[in-house]
Amino acid sequence: EVAVRKKRTEVDPAEMEDFDREMKAMMQESLESRKQELRVRPATINMMIPMNIFEGGHRESESGEETLDEEPDGGGSKVRVKVLVKKGNKQQTKQMYIPGECSLVQGVKEKEAAEMEE
Amino acid sequence: EETEDGYEDEKGGFVEHACRYCGIHNPACVVRCNIPSCRKWFCNSRGNTSGSHIVNHLVRAKHKEVCLHKDSPLGETILECYNCGCRNVFLLGFISAKTDNVVVLLCREPCLSVNALKDMNWDLSQWCPLIDDRCFLPWLVKVPSEQEQLRARQISAQQINKVEELWKTNPDASLEDLEKPGVDDEPMSVAIKYEDAYQYQNVFAPLIKLEADYDKMMKESQSKDNLTVRWDVGLNKKRIAYFVFPKEDNELRLVAGDELRLRYPGDSTHPAWQSVGHVIKLTAQEEVALELRASQGVPVDLSHGFSVDFVWKSTSFDRMQSAMKTFAVDETSVSGYIYHHLLGHEVEHQVVRNPLPRRFGAPGLPELNASQVLAVKSVLQKPVSLIQGPPGTGKTVTSAAIVYHMAKQGQGQVLVCAPSNVAVDQLAEKMSATGLKVVRLCAKSREAISSPVEHLTLHYQVRHLDNTDKSELHKLQLLKDEQGELSSGDEKKYKALKRATEREILQSADVLCCTCVGAGDPRLSNFRFRQVLIDESTQSTEPECLIPLVLGVKQVVLVGDHCQLGPVIMCKKAARAGLAQSLFERLVLLGVKPFRLQVQYRMHPSLSEFPSNCFYEGTLQNGVTINERQMTGIDFPWPVPNHPMFFYVQMGQEEISASGTSYLNRTEASNVEKLVTTFLRSGVVPSQIGVITPYEGQRAYIVNYMSRNGALRQQLYKEIEVASVDSFQGREKDYIILSCVRSNEHQGIGFLNDPRRLNVALTRARYGIVILGNPKVLSKQPLWNSLLTHYKEHECLVEGPLNNLKQSMVQFQKPKKMYN
Ligand SMILES: [Zn+2]
Ligand SMILES: [Zn+2]
Ligand SMILES: [Zn+2]
Repeated sequence: EVAVRKKRTEVDPAEMEDFDREMKAMMQESLESRKQELRVRPATINMMIPMNIFEGGHRESESGEETLDEEPDGGGSKVRVKVLVKKGNKQQTKQMYIPGECSLVQGVKEKEAAEMEE
Repeated sequence: EETEDGYEDEKGGFVEHACRYCGIHNPACVVRCNIPSCRKWFCNSRGNTSGSHIVNHLVRAKHKEVCLHKDSPLGETILECYNCGCRNVFLLGFISAKTDNVVVLLCREPCLSVNALKDMNWDLSQWCPLIDDRCFLPWLVKVPSEQEQLRARQISAQQINKVEELWKTNPDASLEDLEKPGVDDEPMSVAIKYEDAYQYQNVFAPLIKLEADYDKMMKESQSKDNLTVRWDVGLNKKRIAYFVFPKEDNELRLVAGDELRLRYPGDSTHPAWQSVGHVIKLTAQEEVALELRASQGVPVDLSHGFSVDFVWKSTSFDRMQSAMKTFAVDETSVSGYIYHHLLGHEVEHQVVRNPLPRRFGAPGLPELNASQVLAVKSVLQKPVSLIQGPPGTGKTVTSAAIVYHMAKQGQGQVLVCAPSNVAVDQLAEKMSATGLKVVRLCAKSREAISSPVEHLTLHYQVRHLDNTDKSELHKLQLLKDEQGELSSGDEKKYKALKRATEREILQSADVLCCTCVGAGDPRLSNFRFRQVLIDESTQSTEPECLIPLVLGVKQVVLVGDHCQLGPVIMCKKAARAGLAQSLFERLVLLGVKPFRLQVQYRMHPSLSEFPSNCFYEGTLQNGVTINERQMTGIDFPWPVPNHPMFFYVQMGQEEISASGTSYLNRTEASNVEKLVTTFLRSGVVPSQIGVITPYEGQRAYIVNYMSRNGALRQQLYKEIEVASVDSFQGREKDYIILSCVRSNEHQGIGFLNDPRRLNVALTRARYGIVILGNPKVLSKQPLWNSLLTHYKEHECLVEGPLNNLKQSMVQFQKPKKMYN
């Protein structure tokens, strides 16, 4: 609606450097503290994907409902994914769109392509 | 503050989930810091920094947890590792299932590195960190659009660091607190351009606060004791108290609509009593008519010993502050184009694509001249325009024609404002003449004040709506008028009915008009106006001008004349910082060329010559002829009959007035009386004459002197208006006498130094002008020097008795450096 002519202010390199240093320090500190904790309490894994997701998954792809359907709009294709979250102790999924070029969906895409070949 | 009718008077709320750095509040773009002591929201835009705002905050504050907005795709969710519940966003990232489109958040340490995962269906090769390139994953938390970012507060890395530092000791501090000047600091000065509306607000808010504080202090110190009151009852059965409010030599003038508290201290036979009321009238004898709110227990049998205080209201200042806030936080308050334009950003030229009418005049208005037609035409095609209307060039007619065509474009209702009630009334009358449905909205405190356009006012229309459905409201109104008040149930019903009727009438109008401050009336808060015209805009401060604009404006027309007087600012500090500069003027400084109306219909051509050359680059043309400005049957001793003007040389001394704060000049005053008498004798009537003097001391002295020493009937002199330059702005008289007062070789000429004031003083007269002053003193100032030279060249610089005026040979002084 409105075109504003405005030179983008350049980011001050000193600020950038300072910021990066702080951020790295935080990452480092986060990792270290996690490792400390783990010595005390080792991790266990309970990462089962709820079966109903698979069941309702691309096996029903004939209906065109739950497959990797891509959104055409908004420049660049988008892929619908399910985000697995825990609400209390219950597993839940939420739908979300992520860009087709995101590395997360590359693996699945390749696999699908391979299946198509077969 | 709640008004009488239960409307909220404050609007424009703060959005809770707005980014605390930049104000962006699109739910898809913000996350909340989840540290209990913090809980602030930040957006995912980088602005002018290397990291996004949320990442900046987390790093600078050393906070590590966030929560998504409830309207985001994942809903209100604290981001945490699916497996272990770790909430440290610097460790979190997404992985996807090997065979399916399922993704999950997992922490890097330890969950991602646990071997057990490898056996499951998860693809560990593609771990996608939540924070990448100093920014949250843009598909989880959207990056605001370029448009949104440009309209947001432009915060710098330094400011971020500073405010983060401040939050460590004061978590509720705002960015404004960073800029707040100390108590004794000079306030920040106004600029021509602003980074964003927050910076704009940072500059203006303290100035408005200063002015408000000063106004409050001054008005509340205006207590007067030992007043004598005379009682009356108004048509609406309300009590009216009449009394003289002695005006000392200071800046405060009472105006209709002011609120005063009348008190009686009590005595042996009467209890103490007080009531507030509104000034509904100021009589020519400087008597105040105060309509009291309470009608019971008024001690009407008493007349002496009353006191009165000023009840200061912050409403107008509150509305300015609120408008600036709305301008900053509400992106629908004004169009994107206007937002950037007002802040001085470079915006691509925009054309308004509304169909142009075939004729630019409007029914019921005088035929437009060529420059008026061009003005109307150019305005209709531009989103922002300035119209400069020099004295007498018909800017009200032009404004009315513009509004007429805007209203016919079908863009919704047009809002028309001006800083003063007088100007709003004039416009309302003209616009109504075109056949448009005009509603004039008055402040509640002014409803009892008579107005030339009463039939257009909302309160009048509510009372006189000819509709049987409204009979219930009418019945209640009659009851209320009779009894003074209603039962609480009836009062409730009455208010609801009244509100509904008001809304209905407002909605049915083509044009709404009110003062700039009136546009902040809660009764308009649900209205949107795409097209707004502000007349006399050069007489209002920027924040005042903003009030009518933030109701959704897409096309704005500012009418005014920056070569005449600007807004009156009482607080010197605020004035020095630039509060007196109008938005119109700033836009001119930004390169917006005002469209100038060029034909004047007021002044005798001899009177317009100097102002045209001096203030308008000689562009002012005369729409009236010498013959049309020759009063038949008036025999006045003009030195040059074809030039009804002269500079009457005065050598009398100036004196400090009794109050010690103003000046007077006795010789000039006595010559003013002689001039007035000569005018009256020659057949001019008192209402045709205006006496202008810049000093209150001289004003009071002249009024007094004329009524005591006038050669004719006292009453005639009482009817002559004697006032300051400022109070003559926007008006005209057939004959003007200007008494300059200052006559001191060693001091300045005070008020007269302002070229805009001189312009106003010189352009009030239609038929003739007489200036009284000391050329020796005035000629030091370059502008006055050229005025004196102009009069001298026309043989109009004279001295001696009025019946024997002779050209003066007084020597001028060399003017000091040029006034720009
Ligand atoms: Zn925080
Ligand atoms: Zn932000
Ligand atoms: Zn974990």
